[in-house]
Amino acid sequence: MRILNKIYAGVVAAGIGFTTAAAFADDIRVGITMRMVSENGQAYGQMMMDEIKGINEAGGIHGKMIKATLMNDECKSDKGVANANKMVFQEKVHLLIGSSCSSVTLPIVDVTAKAGVPQLVPHSTNSKITQKGSEWIFRVPVSGRYYGGVNAKYVGENIGTKIAYICAADAASVGDCANMEKQMKARFGVEPAYRADVQEKEVDFRSHMQKIKSMNVDGILVAALAETMARALVQSYEAGIGEDVRRIGSSSASNAPVPKIAGDAAKGVFFTAAYAAADQRPIAKLFNEMVKSRYGIHAPDHDFSQAYDLVRIMEIALKNTNFTGSLADDRTAIRDAIANVKGYEGLASGPISFCAAATPQCRDGNRTAVLIGYTKGGENFETEVLARVTMEEDFGLE
Amino acid sequence: MGILSSVADFIDSLAKRHRLLPWLLAYALLLPLPFVLATLFNEYLIDLANRICLFILLAVGLNIVKGFCGQVTVGHIGLYAIGAVTSAVLALEPGGFGGALGFGWPIWAAIPTAVLVTAFAGLIVGLPSVRLEGAYLALATLGLGESVRIFIAVTPALGSSTGLMMIPSPSIGSFVFDSFTSYYYLVMTAAIIGIYFSFSILRSATGRAFQAIREDTIAASVNGINVVKYKLLAFVLSAVYAGLAGALFAHMPPGYLHHNNFTVIEMVTLLLMVVLGGIGNVWGGVIGAIVVAIAYDQTKDLVFYFMDRPIVIQPLVFGLSMVLLVMFMPRGIGGWIEDFQRNRRFIRRSEERLGGTARNS
Repeated sequence: MRILNKIYAGVVAAGIGFTTAAAFADDIRVGITMRMVSENGQAYGQMMMDEIKGINEAGGIHGKMIKATLMNDECKSDKGVANANKMVFQEKVHLLIGSSCSSVTLPIVDVTAKAGVPQLVPHSTNSKITQKGSEWIFRVPVSGRYYGGVNAKYVGENIGTKIAYICAADAASVGDCANMEKQMKARFGVEPAYRADVQEKEVDFRSHMQKIKSMNVDGILVAALAETMARALVQSYEAGIGEDVRRIGSSSASNAPVPKIAGDAAKGVFFTAAYAAADQRPIAKLFNEMVKSRYGIHAPDHDFSQAYDLVRIMEIALKNTNFTGSLADDRTAIRDAIANVKGYEGLASGPISFCAAATPQCRDGNRTAVLIGYTKGGENFETEVLARVTMEEDFGLE
Repeated sequence: MGILSSVADFIDSLAKRHRLLPWLLAYALLLPLPFVLATLFNEYLIDLANRICLFILLAVGLNIVKGFCGQVTVGHIGLYAIGAVTSAVLALEPGGFGGALGFGWPIWAAIPTAVLVTAFAGLIVGLPSVRLEGAYLALATLGLGESVRIFIAVTPALGSSTGLMMIPSPSIGSFVFDSFTSYYYLVMTAAIIGIYFSFSILRSATGRAFQAIREDTIAASVNGINVVKYKLLAFVLSAVYAGLAGALFAHMPPGYLHHNNFTVIEMVTLLLMVVLGGIGNVWGGVIGAIVVAIAYDQTKDLVFYFMDRPIVIQPLVFGLSMVLLVMFMPRGIGGWIEDFQRNRRFIRRSEERLGGTARNS
């Protein structure tokens, strides 16, 4: 009897193993590595998972289910690389999505390029990401090189050229500062009136603000991550710098914590981003309502819209992929299908298109930045669209 | 327990023939590991093994200053950063893609130079230990460690916020250590040598001086031990390990460094390895590094859903583990190993004594 039990257990175990292997082979495996350390960070990841779940519930892709694995990289490159390696070599993903932070995406580009895995970038804006020459990388958000140009043009023509810069030490903000500075010099021949390089999570800007106050500048660029930027904006008013000096935010100003924490200090701040919650298109209104009802977010920032657009682009590409069953061939086919996405119009500020060449011109999908201003701060903040600017595809390249 | 005793007896018998024999055996046993992992599991585990080897170097190094010598340092991660950034900057080509500083040195010259620079930095980090002890020393070393990270973060020449990228992989002739498997042989060899030297230090006169300082500084001084010299030596030796681990981390594919890799959180994780393994026990550091690295890896995608919202519970798991460890297992896994060895010695001596008594009667 014991022997029979053992045989039965063995058959069941083999069956389970076989079924698991079969399910594994039929799935389309997608790995996601993101910064999941803030409330919004978790919501971005949650929204991607929910959207993928929606695709599966609607029948999947050609009858195949998408099996998504979500990992937290804490915005740290070593953890992001470990996540990417795990998803590429252990989970054997067909496609990798990541990361939120440029400093994490930059090394992952090398991992996916070497392993031959298509990578879709959801949020990272550092212009070097697509300049590494990988044929496996595709960027959904607007590259920092475009943001810099739009900001500089608007500031120089509408506000003035005597600008103070406060640049936090995160990769995106440093890139935003450098791009703006470069464009101000190229277009108007001016250097920064004042420049302060501060820490990523700096808390005290008062000494910088006092110096800026004494210089009678036309505007202050605050390039920092959301919470840091909010603190700087509040302290600029505490230092007595009047409303006539315009506050310019980097693309992180789009994130909800900025108006929520800064309160009244957010009013009048303008910034370039890839999505405006004040967008009047029906698709944008529907999206705003969906995010509010699902995640309790008052007005989604561009990281929400980019995550949403990315899933839609992924869906289009997967539907256009002929899966052969060979992982390497399928990865290549997905890459080619993403490269064939042209003129996708979703929530983004402009159409998103990719092409086959491994160049920034082909792989920075969205070239349109939208200029947004806060008309009201606090929990129920409001925004307005100031302008929408599309840049040349080779703009900002050396 | 019987199998463990047999293994321990076998290792003892090998060591009696030649002290290097057990190490050579361990090295030989670890050689086929990448092929075993890739065949039975997947390639990713080789990458994990590589990171474990780096953690072992770090933990074993930290154990020298903290475990052997009893100096409370929280600046070890800063030394790791110095080793990594120095080696990277020396090896990077001038005017490279990232726009950071580069000298284009051969990697095999960059790595030892980085170790030397870190050793010197270790001397500086150790200086406060001459006057400070306990929490005050911890605060001083924490400040030094953090200032290193901030210095890197605000210095564009050292990568600043964008990081140092495209750091070259080591090579010998046309053979490049740019795959998980090839890099494994580099870091595994370094880890084995690191553990061996740590044992050698512990069993030497220097190691005994460290332990004397750890037990009672004044008593050690009264017995003729140059406390200042040995404290600084502990910091320098520890820094050599951190520098080597940092340099190897910098050149490990994909060759990217960012100041966020060297925060206080990383330092706490390192401390967790040493505490879990057992402070003052060499094998404790090794086991702690292995256990923490694997636990971290296995919990990274542990997402708990509360009211349909994902909550990443890994930080909570790690924080709780640290508290529970300190409360219920202050001697760590190393404590168990020590108990096991002590019991083994006791049983053996008792048997010898009983055997001797029987013969005499």
